[in-house]
Amino acid sequence: MTDVIAASLADVKDAVESAIAAEHRLEVRGTGSKSNLGRACDFDATLDVSQMAGIVDYQPEELVMTLRAGTPMDVVENALADARQMLAFEPPRMGRISGGPRSELHGTIGGVVAANLSGPRRLTAGATRDYLLGFEAISGRGELFKSGGRVMKNVTGYDLSKLMCGSFGTLAVMDEITLKTLPAPETSQSLLVACADFRVAIKTIAQIFATPHEPGAAAILPQAIAAEEKVDTGGAFTAIIRLEGIAASVSDRVANLQTMTGGETIAAPASESLWQRIRDVQPLAEKPHDLWKVSCAPSDAPRVVAALDSLVGVRFMADWAGGLLWFGASRSRDLGNRLRAVVAELDSGFAMLVRDVAVTRDEIAPFQPLPSPLFELHKRVKASFDPRGVLNYGRMHSGI
Amino acid sequence: MLMPEPDQHVIDRRDEICSALRKLVPAACVVDSTESMRAFDADGLSAYRQLPLAVVLPETVEQIAAVMKWCHQNEIKLVPRGAGTSLSGGALPLADAVLLGLGKFNRIHEIDYDNRCVVAQPGVTNLAITHAVQADGFYYAPDPSSQIACSVGGNVAENSGGVHCLKYGLTTNNLLGIEIVTMEGEILRFGGKHLDAGDYDLMGIMTGSEGLLGVVSEVTLRILQKPATARALLVGFDDTGAAGTAVGDVIAAGIIPAGMEMMDGLAINAAEDFANAGYPREAAALLIIELDGPAVEVDALIERVETILRAAGATSVRVSQSEEERNLFWAGRKSAFPAVGRISPDYLCMDGTIPRRRLPDMMRRMAALSQQYGLRVANVFHAGDGNLHPLILFDANVPGELERAEDFGADILKSCVEMGGVLTGEHGVGVEKRDLMTIQFTEDDLKQQQRLKCAFDSGHLLNPGKVFPHLHRCAELGRLHVHKGKMPHPDLPRF
Repeated sequence: MTDVIAASLADVKDAVESAIAAEHRLEVRGTGSKSNLGRACDFDATLDVSQMAGIVDYQPEELVMTLRAGTPMDVVENALADARQMLAFEPPRMGRISGGPRSELHGTIGGVVAANLSGPRRLTAGATRDYLLGFEAISGRGELFKSGGRVMKNVTGYDLSKLMCGSFGTLAVMDEITLKTLPAPETSQSLLVACADFRVAIKTIAQIFATPHEPGAAAILPQAIAAEEKVDTGGAFTAIIRLEGIAASVSDRVANLQTMTGGETIAAPASESLWQRIRDVQPLAEKPHDLWKVSCAPSDAPRVVAALDSLVGVRFMADWAGGLLWFGASRSRDLGNRLRAVVAELDSGFAMLVRDVAVTRDEIAPFQPLPSPLFELHKRVKASFDPRGVLNYGRMHSGI
Repeated sequence: MLMPEPDQHVIDRRDEICSALRKLVPAACVVDSTESMRAFDADGLSAYRQLPLAVVLPETVEQIAAVMKWCHQNEIKLVPRGAGTSLSGGALPLADAVLLGLGKFNRIHEIDYDNRCVVAQPGVTNLAITHAVQADGFYYAPDPSSQIACSVGGNVAENSGGVHCLKYGLTTNNLLGIEIVTMEGEILRFGGKHLDAGDYDLMGIMTGSEGLLGVVSEVTLRILQKPATARALLVGFDDTGAAGTAVGDVIAAGIIPAGMEMMDGLAINAAEDFANAGYPREAAALLIIELDGPAVEVDALIERVETILRAAGATSVRVSQSEEERNLFWAGRKSAFPAVGRISPDYLCMDGTIPRRRLPDMMRRMAALSQQYGLRVANVFHAGDGNLHPLILFDANVPGELERAEDFGADILKSCVEMGGVLTGEHGVGVEKRDLMTIQFTEDDLKQQQRLKCAFDSGHLLNPGKVFPHLHRCAELGRLHVHKGKMPHPDLPRF
């Protein structure tokens, strides 16, 4: 079958039904800003959903926006900015993380949801999955279904919205989705604290989070990167804490934390551009490197980093108080294998290949392999939406 | 309420089943006398009662797994139960099902301040989590009104909310990881102390699944640092519509209060009679708005909110000047249900959500329905997120009043859906709203949900008769219609 550009769910239904009948598989795509995330799909034709775009209903005082999944992120962000609101999970611009020809692509909201992409504020405000209130979609069976709603508080039926977030288009093709929005903070500042080593940086952040001063985001940069970003504190590592809110509150809290830690501060404009670079992993992504991310308990982060000690040429930085580690290396096969091994020894966490420059996605699985009972359950969940494997087959794991 | 027809063959095998269960758990953990089982015959939806086939109270996760595996192999249905505080009948027993009680799982395994989480067994109460960490300045945010009694495992099953979820989210937003036991007796872990699993969000699906997908055997909960201060405003309006508009004005000004509650005239007076909280009895609507955070922020925002409320036509505004006064403001709201219980022999508590801007329409609709059914209704809302709790007053001793109250309640929930809202905001579907699901969902919507159920429990053994109005066999649900040609591979086994 030939490639399809869908303008509506009727078109999507048609394409999925045709694919089922022809025993073909489809690759679902928006603008392609995330097409290097995950495994290369096994497909016969592409289903382009970027025409299914536009904001359907936005009521800032209700804190909800209903929009079509193909809506470009810059359109979403402009509408929110006009109402002084935001997507609190601070989605990164994946095109900038991917780099190269994709770096100017803004991506679509559907892509953000499908990849469950969240930025620095994820630590305190939650992920994409915490803000998707409802959706309607065509399943891999070619059936129209909906879940959730357009209201903030809803426990009617299974919360399929959670499942859509991070399913990489393997279950269903969404059209209208409803997101919870929040007021944007009036201002922000960041506190920079010099730390003697990585472990101390993790501990310092934990101590800051044990105060009522409401830190909103916390990253850690090694000295070389801190210097490149012009936030070198002289410590081997610099902990960067972002505080947001109304001006009087932000300055009061920053002052309290300064007294506690002896750190220095940077004001809103510099702080905002620094956090945008952290969000989009620019300190690592600007090098022509493979990129890996590890999600782990913050207190496990030093162990993950220590496991790489003898590897040369690895650059890394941390976000989410240490719970999100980014690694870049010019050839990351050893790095990837070591990350997989150390993560497997932890109680919980995962390592993901986010950008392949030197290694290929065929030689190392981008997603952390699932233990067998979980893999079997994933297969059954996939089959419940897409029994023929029509949608993005193999994007996350072989056979799913 | 029609429950699935009990299987007489299973009931006839009761003794045999109990002795088999006694081989899997210590003998005393199987309760089968009518007298002792009476304590388990209902949950918070006490209008419905049913003795279970037997009650099993395991003491270890391995015992849960062994019981579930045995039930699966022997095709015996199973109803999980936490503290039994569900308001929708989620833990209502079935005559031919084993009731699996998690009450003995009452230990906190770990308090981890470095990662700001608590690992606990499912039977620990919601409030016990906060009690365990409050000396160090932390708390667990979701605060359902039953928090003194309800269990955290039940909170996961029901995705419980509370008065502070406008700012702090529901259970699903405060959960980091769970361990579950599947109907087949497999022990699985979703999530953990890290954020975002990187695979299908099965923890998200389990949360709010009302005990139909698996039994929660451990939870990892996010804990937060307690806000430095909290202050509340008590605001009267002479019109519920104006109060509803005021709520929208506060949010439109970029302020997300920790809680925003509304009560109508009948609820105000019932609560005031009960708690003497100083509520303005003459007001048609009362807002309680709480702001929390650093003191300088709270003080500044209180001023802004007060200005907004006066501009919106508030007839009275009081700002709490002490922690004691703030608690007093809340005392009336928190006792609203028992207070209404004092002015009426019985009441039904409903739980729908609407887009907040439809509040005035909803108030008019309820007044009309109240007249039509000849029953009074008192209203308590989580106004910030549009979650309504109409309390329908009736007398069960008057023949036909319960049925009339239930019909009234169903009409309110239908109106919620018509106005763009949903059947339940936090209490769950259970048996109570099961037969209304077709109002909100199409047949295909419900079939897709049930297919997911089949991925976890292909024999429909776990908590059957809840949530879904019609049970379809998994094989039937798995059938794939091929519209554009022949079904490929007709010889392949169907899911």
